[in-house]
Parts: sequence; structure tokens; C-alpha cells
Amino acid sequence: MDERTRRASRPLPVAETFDGAHVLITGVTGFLGKVWLAFALERLPRIGRISVLVRGQRGRSAVRRLVEVLGRSPALRPCRARWGSRLLDEVGRRLHVLDGDVGQPLCGLDRFAARAAMRDVDLVLHFAGLTDFEPDPRLGLETNVLGALHVADLASLARRPRLLHVSTAFVAGCADGRVPERLEVGRAPSGAQFDPRSELEALRALCRQIEGVRDRIAAANARAAALGWPNLYTYTKGLAEHLLATSGSIPLAIVRPAVVESAWRFPFTGWNEGINTSGPLVWLLSTWFRGLPSVPAHRFDVVPVDAVAAACTLVAAALLRDEPEATGVFHVGTSDRNPLTFGRAIDLTALAVRRMHGRADADPIDRWLVRFLDAVPRPADREPPLSLAAMRRLARAVRDATRPSGLRRWLPPALDGRLGTTIEAHARRLSNRARAIDRTLGRVEELLRLYRPFIHDHDWVFETDRWRALEARLDGEERPTFGSDLERLDWRRYWLEVHVPGLERWCLPLLRGERIPQDEPPWTAETERAVVERLDAPRARAAEGNARGESSRIEVEEASA
Amino acid sequence: MQCAAFFRVEGVLVPRVAMSGAPVYLALNAQRIAERVLRLGNVMAAVPWLAQGPLHDTTTATRIVFMGLRGMSEDRLVELGRQYAETQLVPRLRPGCVELLREAARHGRRPVLLSDGIDVVVGPLADHLGVGDVLCNALEMQDGLATGRLREPVVSAALAVERVRQWADRHGVELSASAAYVARLDDQLLAAAVGEPCVVCPDRALRRLARDLDWPVLEA
Repeated sequence: MDERTRRASRPLPVAETFDGAHVLITGVTGFLGKVWLAFALERLPRIGRISVLVRGQRGRSAVRRLVEVLGRSPALRPCRARWGSRLLDEVGRRLHVLDGDVGQPLCGLDRFAARAAMRDVDLVLHFAGLTDFEPDPRLGLETNVLGALHVADLASLARRPRLLHVSTAFVAGCADGRVPERLEVGRAPSGAQFDPRSELEALRALCRQIEGVRDRIAAANARAAALGWPNLYTYTKGLAEHLLATSGSIPLAIVRPAVVESAWRFPFTGWNEGINTSGPLVWLLSTWFRGLPSVPAHRFDVVPVDAVAAACTLVAAALLRDEPEATGVFHVGTSDRNPLTFGRAIDLTALAVRRMHGRADADPIDRWLVRFLDAVPRPADREPPLSLAAMRRLARAVRDATRPSGLRRWLPPALDGRLGTTIEAHARRLSNRARAIDRTLGRVEELLRLYRPFIHDHDWVFETDRWRALEARLDGEERPTFGSDLERLDWRRYWLEVHVPGLERWCLPLLRGERIPQDEPPWTAETERAVVERLDAPRARAAEGNARGESSRIEVEEASA
Repeated sequence: MQCAAFFRVEGVLVPRVAMSGAPVYLALNAQRIAERVLRLGNVMAAVPWLAQGPLHDTTTATRIVFMGLRGMSEDRLVELGRQYAETQLVPRLRPGCVELLREAARHGRRPVLLSDGIDVVVGPLADHLGVGDVLCNALEMQDGLATGRLREPVVSAALAVERVRQWADRHGVELSASAAYVARLDDQLLAAAVGEPCVVCPDRALRRLARDLDWPVLEA
């Protein structure tokens, strides 16, 4: 048995590896970050310390935001069920909040504070990122590219620096087919060679020089397309990977999840947050819209968020053990072991919509008509007779024709005097309705444009051999906890009973402009305020010390003592 | 040896018309609107073989009916079958017959549902009734799509008794100590094969036969 085979068959004791370990995580207020935090608190009981880097936002300090996550986020339900009102005390012993911003050098910490905070950190897990497909390139650059570099700089201050960077499988870009778990630095998805540092400088210059957001997006999209990335999200994530790998100063694992969606089992079945990839598609298919431009045989690589959290934990454990197999790229997806095709996903969505609209409280039109108009895949180049563009033209024509001032011009004076006001009121309503329809159709057109590379143009199979090799090393006891078991995921059950009901509860209301209800914390407002003040005090003292010209080093050390 | 109680679904547990509506419902809820019409036509093509006349052959009719579902996805059939069972069959269960089923179980008889319908429709009904043994048809699937063929051996009125015998042999069930609840003349062979036949809401021909053979007749 050679060394490689021997290592591959060696057990990977995950919980034991985290025994006493100190990890720092970013992006804990995001979907995946929250689930990982809950996962770690629940399933890694002997973890030593978890430092969380959180950015204060809209007048709320980092501590307050974290306490809100702990008390109100449904993702933390298992922890609240376990510890109840003692959660803050229990978790407070292990959690350490760093008020920082990944967009700033050293994540906004001064060098002394950063050194003190990182002194005994064993591993940094970088979940923070901007997942918009087409953000302002300035934001994309700051969060996804520079953010990753800043976190790597911070990680390098640790005595034993190790970094787990969460990226996306779609950095594969326009390279279709089987995608290996490999990063060839300086080779873009188009196959062209490029220098990541020059590309970063070019993107920086573009962001600096172009003032209008639309123009910036167009220019950055052109750069992305030239290198084979379909949008700014994959471009910035891909560029970050190349830059991190170029620096090569610390052991680096890149976890690339595919489309991260509703939880299968943890924190509870169906948990989802925010507007993720499939949410807008399910919303669209629950309306009158029927023909989704997509190729039925192409794979839709969806992976439950808890499987991604478990995969990150496995890779993190291997990194903590300084195993050579722990560095490099890990895909986390389903397309190579239990694939779901777009044809099947659309069929299942139509069936889920039937359930959704079949309830007694559904809108009568949805209940008796829309739910029977099942969505179907269609080629992008074959427009239906009433295409989106035609419908928009019609809506605009109605809007223009019913403009009150325009309409009254055509009325004879006698009629205008008697019915003019009534007609004007009706015309105004109709015109507003047509304008709203035009806007909605515009949103749908935009949505389909952004999604087209992923649902129509490309067919990826993300290889997951390296992740599976780690899973194979789990012993029988830890397999249910840290293994994903995705071969046994029944897509029909998942889609109809887990995912779409999850979206219906946690995502679709957002698309309708409604709010998602948060949980009630298991403690009183006074307790929460006292805890926030207590945890915020060292930071406030440090800020005061800085104002007096003192070093914040001692204060920070005191804070972490 | 064990003994069982065989319950014909169509005509005994639910009215016959409720079960025969299932293929029509499945065909009319295909994914594309145009294919709904074609599938319905295919299902309706079985009518001559179902009607009492020179072509009458329930086995052929059963095969033709389900050919109309060729190309439909397993996901769709399972989901629609569940919907059909929940909305059309469960509300039309005959309470008296359900009580007979429960009583049979209480007396140590293994309840078995018997149907010409397909598993996606009969399965959810069996789940609702808490019955684990079902003898019914199943569509052959390939790559998640129905081929339009039924898995052999096909259960139809004429062939049901053969399936019942095979099942009884496999499970060590003594047919002479078992009961069967049937509703139509086609099931006369099954009724004759068990020790305790019982006729429920029978058609005219079966009622006459039951009177001649002294089989008990129940009106639900």
C-alpha cells in the first residue's frame, strides 16, 4: 500500500480534531455562515473558541448583530432549543466578536488588534461574499476579491495560518462538461492565459475611472466575458481564487459549492434564507409564465445548505490536521453523484406549484386556472407566440393609450363634460396597471437574461471525488453527523416536501415585498441589552483609548482575555 | 398457515366509477396542454374492450388504458396519483367496507387490497387505510419516464386470481381459510378460490350467481 493510499484510508475523526481548536469565521450573518455557526455549536461540542468577524451596520454594532442572529435567526433554533435562555452564557464563553469589515485592509482591524486577535487562531473560514449575479463592480471587487485577500492577510498573522475560502462551483465559467477539482492559476475558463494581478489592477482602474454604475457593470461584464466568466459574481469569485492561489503563502482550501439551497435536515428541514438562485425561478413558474428557456437534459446542481456546512467542516478538519490532501479545490454538489436535470426540476416545480395553488386559501384564479398551466422547458431561441417582448409592447401601448390627458383629447366636448372625470379615473387606473405589468415583465426579462448561462447555455458536472474521499474516511459514528448522504437524496421528496415549501415560507414573501418573520429570542430585551453592552464595552473602551492617543493593543488583549 | 382477507378496491371499498376515473385524471394533467388531449384519446380508446360486448376483455382494456400514460414522468404520476387518491378516493371510501377491513385485521386476517389500478393511485389509498399488502398494476419505468407498458403479470379481473394464488404461495397464506370481498362478475374465480367469499354491492350478474352459490351479499 503506497503512502497516498494509506493516507486515503486513514480515519478522519472530525469532532476530536476540533477539540480545543480556535477558528475564526467571516460571513456569519449570511445564509451559509449562520448554518455553519449553528452546525459548529451543535455538532462540535469541544471546539475551543469561535471568533466571528462581523461588520457593524446601520447603527448596530457587530455584537448587536451577532446577538440578533443568536436570538432571532431560525438557523439557530437547534441551539436555542438546547440551551434556551442560557444560550448567550453558553455561547458567550466560546464566541468572540471582532468588529471588522472584509472590504478593508486587515478586515478593518489595526495591526496590533489583528495580531492579538489572530495569535492563537488555528483556522480561518471565509464565508463572506456578495452573491448578486450583477452587482456594482466596486462592491464585487471590494467584497469578493479584495475581501478574500484581506482575510488571507489576516489569516497569515496566525501562528499556524490556515485558510478555508468558500467560493462557487460556477467559477468554471464557460468550460462545459466535467469540471475537475483543480485550479490552474492564470488560466481563465475561456482557456486564455491571464495574469491575475494585472486583471485585478485593470478591474480596480475600471472601478475608479467609470462613474456610472450601468457603464461600470457593462465594462466589467465585458472583461468577465472575455475571460469566459458568465457574470460578475463568477468573475470576482474566480479572480479571488487565482489571486489567493498566486500568493501561496498559507495552506489554502477552496470549497466550491454549487447552488446552495434549502436545508435537508439541519438546522431544520426546509430552512432557507434570502433570495437564492432557485427562489426567483420558482416564483416565476408559479405565475402565468410557462415556457422557461432551458435545456431539459442539462444538470441543475442544487445542494442542500447543511451538506455544504458538513463538507466545510470535513475540509476544515483535514486542514487542521495539516494533511496534504486538505489543500486545493473541493467541489460540493450533486451533479456527479445524484444528478437533477432541468427537465425534472421544472416538472417538479410545476407539481409543487399545483400543491401551492391548490390550497383553500389560494387566490381563486391561481387555484382554478394557473395551477393547471404547468411550466415547460423551451429552447431560448424559440419564442412563444406571446413573447415577453410582445407582452411588454402591448402593456406599453395600453399604458400610452390610456394616459388620461391623451384620452380626453379624443372625447367630444359634450361627452367630456358629462363623463370626462369618470373616464379619466378609469383610464388612470388602467394606465397604472399597464405600467406595473410592464415593470414586472421587465424584471422577468432581466431575470432570464441573468440566469440564461446557468439554466440554458451550459451543462456542468462538478466532480466531487475529493470531498467524497474525505467522507469515506468518516467512521460509522460520525458518518451521520458529518457525511452528506447525498446519493440517497430523493429529489422528488426534497423538491415537493422540503425545498419549495421552504422557499414558500422563507423566500417567496421577500419577492412579494413582504417581511420574513423572525423568531422571538428566549431572553428578555433587558437581558439582551445588558449582554450587548457588556460585550461591547471593551470595544468602546478601545475606541475611547484611541481617541486619547493610546494604543488599543492592551484593550484588545483585555477584551480577549 | 396464515389467512388473509382480499378486498377488491373498485366496487367494494370505493365505487367503481371513482377508480376508473384515475387514468383519465392522470392523462388530463400531463405537463403540456396539447398532450393532455392526445393522452385522453388514447385512454378512451380502451372503451370498446371495457364495454359488455363482443370485444369485452378487461386485460386488454387495462393495457390500452395505461398506454396513454407513456412518456409521463414518474414524479408526475406519483404526485398526481397521490392527489387523486386524496381528493377522489379517500372521501368516497365506503365506511361499512372499511369497517369490514378493520374487523378482518382484528380477527387475525391479513388485509390485502386488490385492484386493476396502478400503484401510484392504489398505494396512497393503502397507506391511508394502513394496509401493507397491495396487489395492483405498476407502470414500467425507464429513466424516470413511463414506457406505457404494465409490469407483468398484469392484474385485471380475469387474471387477478392468478396473482392472488402466487401471492398466497409466496406468503404462506391458506386460501381456503381466507376471505375475499368482490363486486363484479369478473371476480367470480377469485370468490370461488377462497374459503369465505363475500359479495359487496354486486352487479346484476354477480348477484344472481351469489344467490345460486349461496354466497353472502352485503350492501354498503
